[in-house]
Amino acid sequence: MTMTSKQNKSIHADAEYGVDSRYHSTRERESEAVALMEARIKKMKGLSGEEIVRARLLQLRLKMEEFLAKSAYDKGNYFSECLKIYIDTIYSKRTSFANDIEITPILLSQIINNHRAPNEEFFKKLMIHSEKMYRNVCEFQQQIWYQVYYQEKLNNTLLTQDIWRPQIEEHVRISEPLEKYNKA
Amino acid sequence: MNIVETSTGKKFPIEVLPVESTDYKSLVRNRYYFDWNCERYQEVYKLCKAGSDDILGLISLERIPEEWRIHIRLLTVSKENKGKEKKYDGITGILIVFAAKIAVREFGELACVSLKPKSQIAQHYIDKYNMNITGMTLSIEMPEILDLIKQYDHDQ
Repeated sequence: MTMTSKQNKSIHADAEYGVDSRYHSTRERESEAVALMEARIKKMKGLSGEEIVRARLLQLRLKMEEFLAKSAYDKGNYFSECLKIYIDTIYSKRTSFANDIEITPILLSQIINNHRAPNEEFFKKLMIHSEKMYRNVCEFQQQIWYQVYYQEKLNNTLLTQDIWRPQIEEHVRISEPLEKYNKA
Repeated sequence: MNIVETSTGKKFPIEVLPVESTDYKSLVRNRYYFDWNCERYQEVYKLCKAGSDDILGLISLERIPEEWRIHIRLLTVSKENKGKEKKYDGITGILIVFAAKIAVREFGELACVSLKPKSQIAQHYIDKYNMNITGMTLSIEMPEILDLIKQYDHDQ
């Protein structure tokens, strides 16, 4: 039985109301998974190097966005980890990236290994480099590297309060408290 | 990401957030077509206009990391957003792209989103979202998954 074009249009108009794709048994799920995986592996083998880089760059952006959206604090070197992924996704050697943004490989290595904080100029160069790289991949928020870096700093500062706070607090006074403004 | 008001063509920003336990009492079959209470212990998200509590669409996901895959268990739009007279357009697409973004974030170039619609409507998903068909399962993976995300993933 063939569908009339009216029936076909009506199905398409209503197709988006919903889908129930729940598997009814493990057997059903497993048998479909095998066929799907075979088809996917065939397709994966045909992926070009450029397509893989595009996927990894989008993955990195999404991971940075997830980090920024997290409400729980996480201690770690997230900025330098993301920077490493960014460079290693695009370049076969990190020195090539250093050359492209006109910094020394030593400086880059120090930033990546958290031995030196990135300066303003480094951020600006990284921002421009990323904008250019992401242009044909996906939307890219130019402020994201700054945000990840400062979010990480903030997280680490708040998480280590027990260590730094007692000593620092000794050097913080309020000589003009609000109570001073109370009427006598 | 934005939905489009069909009567005016005006775009509205949206939010996709996890469904909270208090939401389930409003997820009635009359408006959301399925028994969403059955999904209470799954990973379920709601789509709302930014700043609004009104749920316009829902999606329930299953992560299958050993297959680098996110399977869409259940997906729906609210009653007033179904068919030719729908109020807003783009809800289903945004929900599928939401799943696609999780898949790419978790699995990179191996990412895959799958679903299994009834055979009568499968062609619609193949045509509109460029999905592939394997047996009864529709899926989207590289490179089409990137194009789909790019198509929906903008603020304006």
